Amino acid sequence: MKITPGGVVAAEWTKFSSLRSTWITTGISALLLIAFGMIASASLSGDNLTSIDLALSGSALAALSVGVLGALLGASEYTTGMIRATLTAVPRRLPVLWSKSLVAGAAAFVTMTIGAFVAFAVGSAVLNDKVAGLGLGDDGVLRALVGAGLYLGLVAVLGVALGMLVRSSAGAIAILAGALLIVPGLAALLPDSISEAITPYLPSNAGSAVMALTPADGTLAPWAGLVVFAGYVIVTLAAAAYRLKRNDA
Amino acid sequence: MIQVRELTKRYGAKTVVDRLSFTAKPGQVTGFLGPNGAGKSTTMRMIVGLDAPTSGDVLVNGKPYASSKAPLREIGVLLEAKAMHPGRTAVSHLLTLARTHGIPRSRVGEVLDLVGLSTVAHKRVGAFSLGMGQRLGIAAALLGDPAVVMLDEPVNGLDPEGVLWVRNLLTGLAAEGRTVMLSSHLMSEVSLIADHLVIIGRGRLLADTTVADFVTAEGVRVVTPAPDALRTTIAGPGITVTSTGVEELLVAGTSARKIGLAAAARGIPLFELTPQNASLEEAFMDLTRDAVEYEASR
Repeated sequence: MKITPGGVVAAEWTKFSSLRSTWITTGISALLLIAFGMIASASLSGDNLTSIDLALSGSALAALSVGVLGALLGASEYTTGMIRATLTAVPRRLPVLWSKSLVAGAAAFVTMTIGAFVAFAVGSAVLNDKVAGLGLGDDGVLRALVGAGLYLGLVAVLGVALGMLVRSSAGAIAILAGALLIVPGLAALLPDSISEAITPYLPSNAGSAVMALTPADGTLAPWAGLVVFAGYVIVTLAAAAYRLKRNDA
Repeated sequence: MIQVRELTKRYGAKTVVDRLSFTAKPGQVTGFLGPNGAGKSTTMRMIVGLDAPTSGDVLVNGKPYASSKAPLREIGVLLEAKAMHPGRTAVSHLLTLARTHGIPRSRVGEVLDLVGLSTVAHKRVGAFSLGMGQRLGIAAALLGDPAVVMLDEPVNGLDPEGVLWVRNLLTGLAAEGRTVMLSSHLMSEVSLIADHLVIIGRGRLLADTTVADFVTAEGVRVVTPAPDALRTTIAGPGITVTSTGVEELLVAGTSARKIGLAAAARGIPLFELTPQNASLEEAFMDLTRDAVEYEASR
């Protein structure tokens, strides 16, 4: 009987799976992705809109939802007092953060990748006739769908990191929503020259680049965008790790 | 074994634990006593590394807690506030801890049995009463079959039957050779089970003693219709007799047994013969009077 990395991951999975709220939030995230994809596919059209864009049009809301899932997983350790039990079992502390991130990220990646494929399948079935249909074999389609899963998985990790960093559900969710939804809007208010330079690098813009069939003007290349977003996640995780290790629990 | 050495915790200008040193030994129940706000919980949190000491250190079974390969095997703790997610069932809560160490599911069932929560094993802990929460906390503490068991205010919220159960459990654990430490702000609660007392006030060590040494005998109260005859009968070197009422004497320096035998030999009737111990509670209050952090105005 001793503490092992696999054991800590198993424990974090038990924490994840033994709460009704995680299942509900995960289900809602997948549902948002699929339902918005279906509605948009059936009704929207536009100059540059591809059927992938339409199928994944729920990704912004799904991102918020999986981010909230991660934030709740992280912050609830502190809001419930569970952290005291957690850290007496794992006094080296950091394995808890890595394992929680891994579990939340993997769970969100799996469910959201499935969600993206379902959204694409359902969206293609109901696609309105002003938009050209695409198949899984077409250039960039698989990358966009798996990329959506990867992006949303990383958003869940970002949520966990924010939750462990600020130790409050409300605070973590506010920061998450601000970073994903509000910052791009604020950037648009800046003078054009500045706005154009920074907009592609804002978290949600960078992360979403991976879901575009072909990069639009003023966005990053798909994988480059995802790497930039992963950078934000890593920096936040590092800050969370620092606080977890240094501060009293 | 818990060894606390020169442990200090400061929050800004406020020193909560001040150069505290003591040792809780295996096979003994150590009572950790002090008024509210004395620094008991902070000390216990530092023992398991939840709070980092400003200076000084703590060894659990001879090494720093965080360096242990199987922390739950070293020490099981129940901390004062509930440390569990209300949305989980009792079984799930224990499983989240057991899995970190590869402790089998069967052990979770065992500890739930031991604390009497088997029937509510699949109920959410958010619906538990304070007493049930305490029992689940004790189950979590025992999960790893630890060498040291440390409980912060374990009988809080327990009914009389539960209090008795905790008492028997802890003396049983100490009899098995484990180190048992429990905190309380009530002397009466601790004196029944503890062998060793560590008393603190305002973060400082006030006494590190045994229950027997802490209680000092004050004498024997005797009620007799012939106090003068008894005085002459029992007089001797080192024995002081004071009159505390018409028929009452307080005798110091001898035992109730000797007084009774002497009185019987002379045919002096006794109505009462009572050893007077300073109550533990009084001794505790005297000791901590100057160290009370939060005091009601009188």
